Amino acid sequence: MVKTVKNTWVDSTVMALSVFLIFCLLFESYIELPPLVAWIGRWHPLVLHFPIVLLLICIFLGLTGQKISRKLLALAVMASLITAISGFLLGKATEVKGDLLIWHQYLGAAVAIVSAIWYGLFESSFGKTLYIKGLQIVLLGLILMTGHYGGMVTHGENFLALPVDKSLEPIPENPLIYQDVVVRILDDNCISCHNPNKRKGKLLMTSFQDLLKGGKSGLAISPGDPGKSELMRRLRLQEDDEEHMPPDGKKSLAPNEIQILNRWISLGASDSVRLADLKDTEPLVGFIKQLMEPDRVEKWSKLPVVADSTLQSLSSDYLTIGRIANNSNALSVSAFMPPVYEAKSILDLNRIANNIVEFDLSGIPIGQKEMVLVASCMNLERLEIDGTSVNDSDLMRLQDLTELASLKVFNTNISDKSLPVFEHLKNLKHLYLWETKVTQNAIENLKALRPDLQVDDGMDEEGVKSFLVVPDSLQHE
Amino acid sequence: MGNDKHQKENPLKVNRRHFFSQLSVGIGSLALGSLLIPDLFKNDQRETIGQTLGIPNFAPSAKRVIYLFQAGAPSQLETFDHKPTLRKRMGEDLPESIRNGQRLTGMTSDQKTFPLMPPAVGFQQHGKSGAWVSDFFPHIAKIADEICIVKSMHTEAINHDPAITFFQTGSQISGRPSMGSWMSYGLGSENKNLPSFVVLTSRGKGNSQGLYSKLWSSGFLDSKHQGVLLRSGKDPVLYLNDPEGISRSDKRHLLNQVASLNKLHHIETGDDEIESRIAQYEMAYRMQMSVPDVMDISKEPASIIKLYGEDCQVPGTYAANALQARRLAENGVRFVQLYHQGWDQHGNLPNEMAGQAKDVDQASAALILDLKQRGMLEDTLVIWGGEFGRTNYCQGNFDPKNYGRDHHPRAFSIWMAGGGIKPGLSYGQTDEFGYNIVEDPVHINDFHATLMYAMGLDHEQMTYKYQGRRFRLTDVAGNVIKDILL
Repeated sequence: MVKTVKNTWVDSTVMALSVFLIFCLLFESYIELPPLVAWIGRWHPLVLHFPIVLLLICIFLGLTGQKISRKLLALAVMASLITAISGFLLGKATEVKGDLLIWHQYLGAAVAIVSAIWYGLFESSFGKTLYIKGLQIVLLGLILMTGHYGGMVTHGENFLALPVDKSLEPIPENPLIYQDVVVRILDDNCISCHNPNKRKGKLLMTSFQDLLKGGKSGLAISPGDPGKSELMRRLRLQEDDEEHMPPDGKKSLAPNEIQILNRWISLGASDSVRLADLKDTEPLVGFIKQLMEPDRVEKWSKLPVVADSTLQSLSSDYLTIGRIANNSNALSVSAFMPPVYEAKSILDLNRIANNIVEFDLSGIPIGQKEMVLVASCMNLERLEIDGTSVNDSDLMRLQDLTELASLKVFNTNISDKSLPVFEHLKNLKHLYLWETKVTQNAIENLKALRPDLQVDDGMDEEGVKSFLVVPDSLQHE
Repeated sequence: MGNDKHQKENPLKVNRRHFFSQLSVGIGSLALGSLLIPDLFKNDQRETIGQTLGIPNFAPSAKRVIYLFQAGAPSQLETFDHKPTLRKRMGEDLPESIRNGQRLTGMTSDQKTFPLMPPAVGFQQHGKSGAWVSDFFPHIAKIADEICIVKSMHTEAINHDPAITFFQTGSQISGRPSMGSWMSYGLGSENKNLPSFVVLTSRGKGNSQGLYSKLWSSGFLDSKHQGVLLRSGKDPVLYLNDPEGISRSDKRHLLNQVASLNKLHHIETGDDEIESRIAQYEMAYRMQMSVPDVMDISKEPASIIKLYGEDCQVPGTYAANALQARRLAENGVRFVQLYHQGWDQHGNLPNEMAGQAKDVDQASAALILDLKQRGMLEDTLVIWGGEFGRTNYCQGNFDPKNYGRDHHPRAFSIWMAGGGIKPGLSYGQTDEFGYNIVEDPVHINDFHATLMYAMGLDHEQMTYKYQGRRFRLTDVAGNVIKDILL
């Protein structure tokens, strides 16, 4: 009785650590670690050898029928629990949990929990039966397997680092389509299961040869025929389908990624073709370029924070300011013609200039001051200043808006002098330029200089005429 | 001793005190562990996202919609679904294996045979995409590379009213909010001086079915999300203009007085509809200026008038409405809903359809071209289509020059353009008879889910709780058709 009282804090600690460990394992998917707690995980390699040795000593004593000191066992059990918990924390900090790591984690947890049970039964009558020897043997097996898996995790192939590192590298200027694009997609989405360690469905996706070999369900890839490629079939199933890939709980491929794989297979699934080898009209070129572009949403996440109250105070019945998306600081601003226009309503926007990515000033009688404000919106991607009185010198101010992708300047007074500005805007993709003083020659020049820029010079009379003509064969009375 | 006995009987050595002390340690550990779960005691994250109104859930590809609804259901077999088999097997009875128990309307249920009827019009491939378009639509054929034709739409309703109600509200039974109202509810208004949901109607000479204001009703949503029907002619919005002898400042004075009374009433009752009403009065006051401005097409250049066709100067025509739709969209109206009646060809199809097509063909195509040159096709989604398809067999007497087609819910064609929809794509396929879908079916719920996705809304997250239930436009179904999105 005295003994029990004396050891209460040890018992309690063992109990507490066990419950904590089980809790962590059960609710793993909900847990996110604060940095300091994650740091505790780093101690795992330092402490893990203690429980191995201590438990092995206890098991040895137990199996050879000698008396085990309660204190020794308590120490061993606590060490194993601490090791398991720190291991869990370390594993949680890993981006992609491989098969090996998962086995190691659960085996390690089993070691800790089985030894805790042993400790719990230590002084009971059960602790003196033969069953406890069985428990010791099971524990021995668990320790060996845990150690083995743990060793494979650290010393085996670069299993854990593989999928994480590659996706961070930018795609090179003229990528090899297989190596730099397809592999990247597979690495991000497939390789965590289809690697030499796991081989789900007997399919390996770690090398070109293995990929062509296919798996249990047949050819993953049938060069030239996406219809016969198991890979494409599974990617395109509805997400709740049993056979959909990636399976339940993993994120699906982006539509663009699926199109890239599809087109790459259609073109014969070569591992040596480069992007520049393809014709400009080939859809794959567009898909890959899209992938190479920085993600808009990610770009927006770096914008300064702007409060809802700020937006409310700046907007009015004739000026709508809205967030592009929920929880985003990227703003879209649309101005509508009020009964009496005052420049102030626009100029006040300088407080949020860096947040404005879409700015619609169509038909508003803006002057130089407003254009200075527009020019200060460094993150502007879309600008509508059609039907305004802007001129060439106003437009000059826009040349530092490097993010500008779409610009509407139709129905304005700009002339050929503005063309260098358009040419200079490297990210500009759409330019709407009609009913201006810009000459047809200049537009042709611009098109030649910037083939990636779509210049819409409207429908002239000819265009309308040819639209209106209906071939006789199609006419119906 | 008692204690020893107790220990023998209970090998785990647990007494009440021991049990509780250990239990408290266990609970403490659970609490410690729960600290690692962020937001454990906060509301469900998804729910809070769903409740943020007036802002898209994610970056949208479309900011506004122009829906060119062809009420009465144009035949897919005379528009975009080219089926040469119908000509080869003309007059033969539709094989039972194809009809496969499809229920019939009362109009053909007595019919003894179902002779296959080929279209009275030719089909040709157009554009780089090689999309099939019937010769009824020479202008739409010219924009084949701008549009995405979905040939595999299907619905559940077989009669006009339930079908059009299903298309507009996501339910065959009336009373739910219209999709325009859902968009207004979810995204708010872009221009506070105009309604966010506007309806324009026109009527062709073909056999027509009724249109009712329930189709643009806001149902259980706040009444400010209701579609506003703009009439052709002098008074686009009824009762908007002041009576003679009332000046604008009188009106202002009146509104201020009424608003102060309404505010008192609101304090007494707390009814939110009162605030909604005050806002409506204010908006109507601003609309007195903005509506005549947006409806006035006199400043449109001659080339634009030519593009849409001379008809666009005649108020109340489809062409006028199409041009109006562009002007409304340009001025920040979220959802412009057009209806063109007269597509219900149970008989005299070749003639009636030629007339209907003439009404809408040029203006629909002109709208796309006009939006394109204004850069509006980037963020405006245009939809063209009816509420269901029509049968591949003939209704009534078998006469290739003057035949009719009955209602067919299993497959029909619509097209979409702009707003993040892939241009130059023909999506989905029907069998050789044009009767059943064999590839990539798109249900009305899928269509709604896709439309909402383009507008930056998650159709599963945007809900409205009414009478104890959370309602969605897509009810309990719908998949986003990502294959037709850019």
